[in-house]
Amino acid sequence: MSGISYSEILKLVAPEMLVSLAALAVLAIDLLVMREAPQRYRFWTGAAFAGLGCGLAIAWLLAMNPPPHSMSAGLSLLQGTYADDVLVRLVKVALLVMTLFTLAISMESNFTDHIGEYLALILLATVGMMFLVSSENLLMVFISLELTSLSLYILTAFNKRNVESAEAALKYFLFGGMSAAFTLFGLSLVYGLAGSIQFSEIYSKLHAAKIDTLLLAAIVMTVIGFGFKIAAVPFHLWAPDAYQGAPTPSAAFIASGSKVASFFIFAKLMMQAFAGAEGNGAWRHFTPGWLPVVATVAACSMLLGNLAAIVQGNVKRLLAYSAIAHAGYALLGLLSNSQQGMSSLIYYIVTYGLTVLGAFGVVAIVEERTGDASISSFAGLGRRQPLLGLCMMVFMLSLAGIPPLAGFFGKFYLFTAAIGAGKDMGMLWLVIFAIAMSAVSLYYYLQVLKQIYVVPAVEDSRPIVVPVSSRIILSLLALVVVVLGCAPELLLGRLITAIKLASHQ
Amino acid sequence: MSDYLFYIFAALTVICGALVIINKNPINSAMFLVLSIASMAGLFVLLHAFFLAAVQVLVYAGAVMVLFLFVIMLLDLKEEQRRKINTFGAVTGVASVAAIGYVFYQSIRNTPLPNAVAHSEGDTVVLGKLLFTDYVLPFEILSILLLVAMVGVILLSKKDLK
Amino acid sequence: MVPLYYYLIFSALLFSVGLAGALTRRNAILVLIGIELMLNAANLNFIAFWRYSPDPEALTGMMFVIFSIAVAAAEAAVGLALIIAIYRHYRTVDLTKVDSLKG
Repeated sequence: MSGISYSEILKLVAPEMLVSLAALAVLAIDLLVMREAPQRYRFWTGAAFAGLGCGLAIAWLLAMNPPPHSMSAGLSLLQGTYADDVLVRLVKVALLVMTLFTLAISMESNFTDHIGEYLALILLATVGMMFLVSSENLLMVFISLELTSLSLYILTAFNKRNVESAEAALKYFLFGGMSAAFTLFGLSLVYGLAGSIQFSEIYSKLHAAKIDTLLLAAIVMTVIGFGFKIAAVPFHLWAPDAYQGAPTPSAAFIASGSKVASFFIFAKLMMQAFAGAEGNGAWRHFTPGWLPVVATVAACSMLLGNLAAIVQGNVKRLLAYSAIAHAGYALLGLLSNSQQGMSSLIYYIVTYGLTVLGAFGVVAIVEERTGDASISSFAGLGRRQPLLGLCMMVFMLSLAGIPPLAGFFGKFYLFTAAIGAGKDMGMLWLVIFAIAMSAVSLYYYLQVLKQIYVVPAVEDSRPIVVPVSSRIILSLLALVVVVLGCAPELLLGRLITAIKLASHQ
Repeated sequence: MSDYLFYIFAALTVICGALVIINKNPINSAMFLVLSIASMAGLFVLLHAFFLAAVQVLVYAGAVMVLFLFVIMLLDLKEEQRRKINTFGAVTGVASVAAIGYVFYQSIRNTPLPNAVAHSEGDTVVLGKLLFTDYVLPFEILSILLLVAMVGVILLSKKDLK
Repeated sequence: MVPLYYYLIFSALLFSVGLAGALTRRNAILVLIGIELMLNAANLNFIAFWRYSPDPEALTGMMFVIFSIAVAAAEAAVGLALIIAIYRHYRTVDLTKVDSLKG
């Protein structure tokens, strides 16, 4: 291994480099120069640098042609470590956009004095997610997953004045640590059985072999680890507490960016490395493999998420249970186990991430002005701040899956992909169940809207003042949700081409 | 000979591990964890992973456990009071652990496993070279991870001045 | 030489012991210690599989363990910092008493 060109590697990972450099810059500037400056000023400076880093990374990802799979020195070195194709780049752009929005909705909340650290950790978590999306072997998956998780634990605990923030972080951490141990154990078994940690080699080793119980145990343990990251039942216990206790922007980030990255790599791992160990999840045709395992997890998530969301009195907790339910729907894309399934999964989870960012953005403002995020503090929002109420309506209806919003089309496409998958519509039972459950979900989303538009504000009915910047950002998010719902080809077309391209390589 | 050593180290590791979780006094627990980890390093030696055995002792038994003991003493944790056993938790916990153990036992027994014993040693020079060539990317990500941990730990454990 | 599956059964046993500890203890630090045991069991798996693998020159299992030890150390540090933060608010690390968040 002589003559490795490190500059080639640097060029290859330039987007990640840009974001981490931005993180270091933000950290250094805030600590060295801005210590004494007023908070608002510090935040704006830091966010400007962070935004610049993300912006440059997005520009790089969009402008540079993905390298052809030739064997230049740097590439062959990272072969089987770092994937870089059109699909990966698209997902990374989506992640960076979500990071930008997270930065934007953090502007209004002042839960911490450690602004430099806060911004830097958000950026470094993004770096972890970007590497996660690019992973092509188990070691990369494990390391980047841990980088993301550690940053998120700390972001959850960021509000040091608040007891709940620390408690949420501890619970998140303990469940996360346990699931990391499960993942590592599962990965060790995969390594032992396949003799390699690269997705492609695992596939070529395992797809021919018959599925023995040890492989099944390895797969189940890996699913446990990822089930935790995507908050699927029964590994969801941390989610409601973490969402409720974490500072709202951190919760938004956990619900959007981290979800997108984890879902993407989960699907990639299952569809690429464990292809051939699917088994069968069709009704009455269960054969062992990862499909029946994931199908069970999906069904439980939809059931429990939707039913538990009904009784929640806190909007952040409600969004947490709805996130669990949405993880259940999104798993349908994985269960389709096809290119169409993959594109529907990515479309769904990206639009979900954007919607939930917006919803948390509204919650952040309401929480800041009224003091808590209980559902009753939204009462009369439609009159007190019409724009905010309208945005929240768009987000809630999109989450419920009402046409013509993005959430509707996402679900529609997801369910179509799942019905078409397998022989004789084997996934039909789960799709029917999912449709029934989305009908249930309509109830609790409408509860929130009822508070906003029907119930009058209790005592204080003065208008809520919202700065222009927040209005622009939330309207922008709402607009994106509407546009992606009306013209899904904008994103979906690119996704389908990218997936076709990626599969040819 | 090495067979007997395997049994000795394995027994030591598991017994100490069990004592870790049974012991009421956190300090005793932590000390048994040190023992458990050290005998695990013995197993690493039996597997010819000499460098990792050293790392295991230095990093785990040394650094990490000192950190644990330091925090336990800093917080001045007393013995846990007579525990009210959470019946539901205990029953489901033990049941699931037993189930997992059984599944593993069965599946490991029934799976044909490779049995060629390698003659390679985990040479430190080779490891170091690999770390900066094939594994350079994970290595760099790890350095970011350590930075995150550092920032986080300072931030979380520092007392805010106001 | 002990066959491979002795090591695997042993590490599964150690993993279960750690899991039992993590699930049953109420002291947050001891839950963390249980997690450390589980991670150690996984490490042993990697090394055993490396030793018995047909292609040991690759050193993959060894490398994985180096990384996982580093990750575990970082995780322990963050976990302990979180526990200190909890202790500051509650004056205890008993998980059953840390329960202000409820649905």
